[in-house]
Amino acid sequence: MVTLLRGTLRPLRLFQALPGPAADVPLRAASQGTGLLYPEHIPTSLLQKVLLTAGSAGMALYNPYRHDMVAVLGETTGCRALRVLRDQMKRDSEGAQILQERPRISLSTLDLDKLQSLPEGSLGREYLRFLDVNRVSPDTRAPTRFVDDEELAYVIQRYREVHDMLHTLLGMPTNILGEIVVKWFEAVQTGLPMCILGALFGPIRLSAQHLQVLVSELVPWAVQNGRRAPCVLNLYYERRWEQPLKALREELGITDPPMHIKA
Amino acid sequence: MAAPRSCALWGYYGRGWSRVMRGCRLPGLRSSWPGSPLGARLLSQEKRATETHFGFETVSEEEKGGKVYQVFESVAKKYDVMNDMMSLGIHRVWKDLLLWRMHPFPGTQLLDVAGGTGDIAFRFLNYIQAQHRRKQKRQLRTQQNLSWEEIAQKYQNEEDSLNGSHVVVCDINKEMLKIGRKKACAQGYKTGLAWVLGDAEELPFDDDKFDVYTIAFGIRNVTHIDRALQEAHRVLKPGGRFLCLEFSQVTNPLVSRLYDLYSFQVIPVMGEVIAKDWKSYQYLVESIRQFPAQEEFKEMIEDAGFQKVTYESLTSGIVAIHSGFKL
Repeated sequence: MVTLLRGTLRPLRLFQALPGPAADVPLRAASQGTGLLYPEHIPTSLLQKVLLTAGSAGMALYNPYRHDMVAVLGETTGCRALRVLRDQMKRDSEGAQILQERPRISLSTLDLDKLQSLPEGSLGREYLRFLDVNRVSPDTRAPTRFVDDEELAYVIQRYREVHDMLHTLLGMPTNILGEIVVKWFEAVQTGLPMCILGALFGPIRLSAQHLQVLVSELVPWAVQNGRRAPCVLNLYYERRWEQPLKALREELGITDPPMHIKA
Repeated sequence: MAAPRSCALWGYYGRGWSRVMRGCRLPGLRSSWPGSPLGARLLSQEKRATETHFGFETVSEEEKGGKVYQVFESVAKKYDVMNDMMSLGIHRVWKDLLLWRMHPFPGTQLLDVAGGTGDIAFRFLNYIQAQHRRKQKRQLRTQQNLSWEEIAQKYQNEEDSLNGSHVVVCDINKEMLKIGRKKACAQGYKTGLAWVLGDAEELPFDDDKFDVYTIAFGIRNVTHIDRALQEAHRVLKPGGRFLCLEFSQVTNPLVSRLYDLYSFQVIPVMGEVIAKDWKSYQYLVESIRQFPAQEEFKEMIEDAGFQKVTYESLTSGIVAIHSGFKL
């Protein structure tokens, strides 16, 4: 019975992280750097990915403060969508530059003083204001671990770092209502299963009043803008700090939100 | 011949891993070959001789202690929750069985090494107290004409319930001890407990001090298991008993496959989802594979000077209780 089991499972490669010897040999390729595609990479088998998807989805719903679970869900389910995104980026000139130069948004790469000195209404200044008002920092993003392709790992990392930019662009705070609106926008833009799931299941924890506002006004606005705007991952934000936010919004076709949501 | 050191090859040799690893660290080759053609190999043997395993990774012996410390520091808070989830609660049965095998009597001095969160210590105190209560009941049944004041007096003597039994919980990791102390307060254990920070390879106790020495799920994390066993022998009184509850090698091939599958596919995922820590739980399951099998560990215990060494496999060999006496 054991051999039968082995026979059927072997071609499926359910338990192997990387192609290698027998399915049941527990290799940890992480040691000595072999098999690691990027420094934080943890190779996972299909079964592990399935379990991670289920576990992270459940934990994210159970404890909405576990942002890392949402991130893991994105990594394990995003294979196809990330490839589409990457190809889209390659076709656009600015996007291709980003893929080549691999810029990162973190406190160490941002020049906070320069951003502070920029005129009011510019992207840089508004971004800084957003970070201050909502008391968030670009360094709280966990690094990608479960994506088995080095370029796609960068794409999802970029997506995470651009998430804060989207808050600024859309004028949404980081409370749960604001996050859901941004998720709807991202779902339409990127097609990542994690965004779609977050957009659909996030509202479960909302009050009836918020839900009403969300469904009647915010979601249609987010979806409309998401459809109209070009791919937001194609923008080289690091080169656009001086650009006035209004001009950027016009360029992307993003209209003002139907109502102001307090932080 | 030097055994293959690369981790990928370890995977191919099944149970022979730990034996091969230990064979390598014996000084045999070093001392007997003076010739220069082997000089280069001699040098690399020297260097590699101070290396050990950390899960499936190879690290130097100095590094291992630090890395293990970090693992337990990070898992301390969720240690008990994760134990319940990973073993589906069966670890409680294993620990209870350890106490039943120990069968302590009132007055026993227990040393629980690597006892961090206090599971064995609390069970020991419960066992002694339960024994005491049973004895009290038996006594009262035979004394039919006591006044109610005398009966109340008998039940009120709390301090006497332990009757001199005492447990010292020793652990190398501060975080684990902190969690243990908090649990003790929360569960109301006030007397009969002491918490000591110490290294199993160099215990801060005098010779011939304890009646029973236990180490539950701790000895596989020790860098030099032989030194820990020697220390155990040292601090035990003559007639004292050594008890070790540890993960071991599964004998049944079907159970072994399922166990491997569960260990390597499910446990790190659980660690990530519940405790936000994949790598510590990856280390956990790998360190279990690196630990010697039942017979080999029995020989190691005998080498340290213990006699009448026996072992009992539980749950098809997933864990084993080894027992030895200092005579």
